[in-house]
Amino acid sequence: MIPGRLTKELARICGRDAVIVDRDRLLVYESDALTAYRHRPGAVVLPRTTEEVRRVVQAVVRHELPIVPRGAGTGLSGGAVALNGAVVIGTARMNRILAIDAPNRRAVLQPGVINAELSAAAAGHGLYYAPDPSSQTACTIGGNVAENSGGPHCLKYGVTSRYVTGLTVVLPDGSVVKAGGQGREAPGYDLVGLFVGSEGCFGIATEIEVGLLPVPEGVRTLLGIFDRIQDAGRAVSEIISAGLLPAAMEIIDGPTIRAVEDSVFAAGYPTDAEAALVIEFDGLEAGLDDEAERATRFCLRAGAREVRGARDEEERVALWKGRKKAFGAMGRIAPDLLVQDATVPRTTLPAILKGISEIGKRYNLIVANVFHAGDGNLHPNILFDRRDPDELERVEHASKEIMQLCVDAGGTITGEHGVGLDKKHHMPLIYGPDELDTMWGIRRVFDPGAVMNPGKVLPEETEPSHANRGQDPARGELVGAPAPA
Amino acid sequence: MNNQALTPESTAETREIVLAARAAGSRLLPAGRRTWPGAGGWTRDGGTTVSTSQLDAVHHYEPADLTLTAGAGIGLDHLARIVGPNRQWLPFDAPGSSAGTLGAAVASGTSGPLRTRYGATRDNVLGLEVVTGDGRTLRIGGRVVKNVAGYDLVRLFTGSRGSLGIITRVSVRLFPIPGADETLLFTGGPSEAVSMARTVCTSEVPVAAAELVEGEEVGADRAMVLAVRLLGGPREVEESRRRIRAALGTEPWRALHDGESRRFHTARIGWEAGASLVARLAALPDRLDAALAAARACATRANGGAQGSAAITADALQGLVRVRASLPDVDPPTGLAETLATARRDMEALGGSLTLSHAPPQVATRVGWTGSRRETAALTDRIKALFDPDSVLAPRCP
Repeated sequence: MIPGRLTKELARICGRDAVIVDRDRLLVYESDALTAYRHRPGAVVLPRTTEEVRRVVQAVVRHELPIVPRGAGTGLSGGAVALNGAVVIGTARMNRILAIDAPNRRAVLQPGVINAELSAAAAGHGLYYAPDPSSQTACTIGGNVAENSGGPHCLKYGVTSRYVTGLTVVLPDGSVVKAGGQGREAPGYDLVGLFVGSEGCFGIATEIEVGLLPVPEGVRTLLGIFDRIQDAGRAVSEIISAGLLPAAMEIIDGPTIRAVEDSVFAAGYPTDAEAALVIEFDGLEAGLDDEAERATRFCLRAGAREVRGARDEEERVALWKGRKKAFGAMGRIAPDLLVQDATVPRTTLPAILKGISEIGKRYNLIVANVFHAGDGNLHPNILFDRRDPDELERVEHASKEIMQLCVDAGGTITGEHGVGLDKKHHMPLIYGPDELDTMWGIRRVFDPGAVMNPGKVLPEETEPSHANRGQDPARGELVGAPAPA
Repeated sequence: MNNQALTPESTAETREIVLAARAAGSRLLPAGRRTWPGAGGWTRDGGTTVSTSQLDAVHHYEPADLTLTAGAGIGLDHLARIVGPNRQWLPFDAPGSSAGTLGAAVASGTSGPLRTRYGATRDNVLGLEVVTGDGRTLRIGGRVVKNVAGYDLVRLFTGSRGSLGIITRVSVRLFPIPGADETLLFTGGPSEAVSMARTVCTSEVPVAAAELVEGEEVGADRAMVLAVRLLGGPREVEESRRRIRAALGTEPWRALHDGESRRFHTARIGWEAGASLVARLAALPDRLDAALAAARACATRANGGAQGSAAITADALQGLVRVRASLPDVDPPTGLAETLATARRDMEALGGSLTLSHAPPQVATRVGWTGSRRETAALTDRIKALFDPDSVLAPRCP
């Protein structure tokens, strides 16, 4: 709970209906899509404008409470979890597209605009917004900016930061800063690039300028079915080595295929297969058939049992269904899901997949893989039940070992989901004390008072002044206790 | 500028140099092959140049991963020869870049006309090793194509112009060389060329680059030439060519294929070479006409009213116009600073900018290398102080 005076102040700024302090209503905000981490916020406030955000930030800071920005809460790293009774600033009401500037292929929008809605709004101009996280029908562009989100089609088109050209940001001191904007030639340090992916630790983006692309004229989608996942990994490597650049290449492994096929999302993948590889090419119609044929040959040569092609949009949707609904389908197998997000060099995929499977077996856990194979961005999903303390412990160990395996192969701990609460203690796997120290420093450049999303991204024990600080309860352990009903 | 350059042979040695300079209270100017002394005002009097040109080893190259890690001093020409046999390339085509080093390309952060197709320089830098102004060696980012672990310091360093640290090692993303490379040259009068460029840039054809060049530079008899570059599979390029012709309702004056096309664009990279004045005028692509008008005014003034060396070129996809001129050594033409200042005001009124890449000191002092960025100045100062508290390195970016 927050002090009554602050509640009144927030209500004066944003209207009474924009401030949530009721315990039951706050339940919705106690986790993001990584439900293993739960903390109830002190309050949630839903401003509509940059000015309201500015005044809310000032009011909360005056009351010495931390702030957590939140989009749609679809994040997968616990980044929007409100630790220590923080006040959540939700962007749900900042959902206006301010301009679609078709001649210059850009749009200006508020952070609460849903990713897919931007593309829908741009479609009339023959344009779309390229980054496509799997949650794109629910997640917000503001959240995408905070996490530097990716998606299946980032293989060809790149991730969020490539498309963000300007930002208006409310800093924790209540100042409003504009960086970049109106195209791409902004002189000086790349503050926009630095802000993208800062996970709500630097400020709140209240206006976002993004680049749009012309909708590709044609699409070819293929589905390769493999008896061995390593073969699918090899096909991916060979397609890329041959100079083909598909828009997307996604692998769904055997356990995931079976989960999907057992669910309402059944996509018609053979349940005895060990991997399904979705490959998509897009661009001008001319040449797409050639590319699809070449990719088909590579799949067959790598040992694919069969390769299906989609002949129309309906079939295309069907081929993608198993990939897109994988996370939903896993919910049937276990109550909890820990999804990892390491990226490895593409050529190490076969060895890494084998290693992950061995770790799963050793800890007696079900690990199901769905991932962006073209980018080497893995998503091992560890299925578990958090009411079982022993299993929870095994999950933590397995999780760390998988991460270490990927790092040892030259990879990184997160490719698109962000560090948040979930992976902050893994940061020392890839960065030394100097790098972590510098990141603390950069954070303080924007947020000297440590009010923005504290307890995320960087492990407390690496904070330069840590020895002088009191015990911080904002640790990133999995929450063992069952959620309140 | 001091002609003696220090040329460390390792990261450790680079760090020793920085620590020694810091202890002595002296100044350093990070550089690559020093092909572009003075670019963007990042030099100043009294500094010792530190060239990373000896740090030119390839540390990691796995063709199937399309990634490469090398010392910052590797020449972009050398890099191209290493990855070329695997039909791969690093599509960095910023002005002057072909003669320079990978580290300098990253430090300057400038992108060329291929930006729309391949992303900016900063989109293709995966990781860096840097020695900061306070003597720390940082390894930031990594060598995988997707990485969101921690704050994006790689983007901060890309384009930081030697003001935060000396880049010693770089990991980049490579691309397959497309099967077909074709450049269509269309000629026209000044306004005709702009309208052709707009047609091409707003068409559904995925053009890789669209540049406006003055006709006489390429031997055309019209005032302007629109160079449309098509990259892709042979069928895609053929179809694109057909549609571009149809959209413009005319045949190209010339069509350059593969080797010819590549040579044309390589030559374009050197367009600014030797110029003592280079200004970049940026606006949204649909205001290209306004940027061109402002640029022409600057060019005319740089020529001192007479026929001179000044020329302009434009990247139509990005809305970026450049002016180049070789000015007399002694006195820049009268009124040049005022004309540049007026052009900057015009560009800023459109929401754009005017930046000087090269300028004689008398002009640069009066005009300023960039417009003022008061809003972000406090953040920028704090960032500079975090990495280079004693200002050992180049001055902070605006």
